[in-house]
Amino acid sequence: MRDRHDGREVAGIDYSGYEPMAERALARIEEELADATPGLRIAIVHRLGALAVGEASVAIAASSPRRSTAQEATKLALERVKREVPVWKRERYADGSSAWREEEPLATDPVPTA
Amino acid sequence: MKRGATIDSMRIRLLAFASASDALGASEREIELAPGSRVGDLRRELGARFPALSPLLSRLAVAIDGEIAGDALPLAEGAEVALLPPVSGG
Repeated sequence: MRDRHDGREVAGIDYSGYEPMAERALARIEEELADATPGLRIAIVHRLGALAVGEASVAIAASSPRRSTAQEATKLALERVKREVPVWKRERYADGSSAWREEEPLATDPVPTA
Repeated sequence: MKRGATIDSMRIRLLAFASASDALGASEREIELAPGSRVGDLRRELGARFPALSPLLSRLAVAIDGEIAGDALPLAEGAEVALLPPVSGG
């Protein structure tokens, strides 16, 4: 999590989500990645609430007999989380102001792969 | 007839997130609509009843009971309908 946006110092970040839908989206991403990749196990957790600068918002654990498989799955999982999970972050700035970041139209289809 | 339904209107539970919640003035509201209303009708009604929401509407996805819904989909009495701005998780 970065500490500046548009030149304003970020003091903290709040994450909120449409929780039942977000949980289903995370489960779907885990299941689809595991189904598509023999030997892969993967788990994704997204934290909600107030986080300090430097704290991780998402944890992804992946295991596979091949390290590159696990690494690739982790990367793809994060890309999908960013597009498919109904979670929003609000940045709180050092001057007391705050703003919602609204970045990716919510998608329910997997990110196309090359 | 289901409790809460009348001949003249049906009620949905509207959830709003991020900037949509700010514009609506609440994260949750009960909304009355004409029976047979579709998602597109809801968008128009919300724009008319909540002017602050109007400029956001084209960027908002609508979910019915947790599933993204196109404008043609009909709403039912008691449905949970969510207004979802572009997301920023991860």
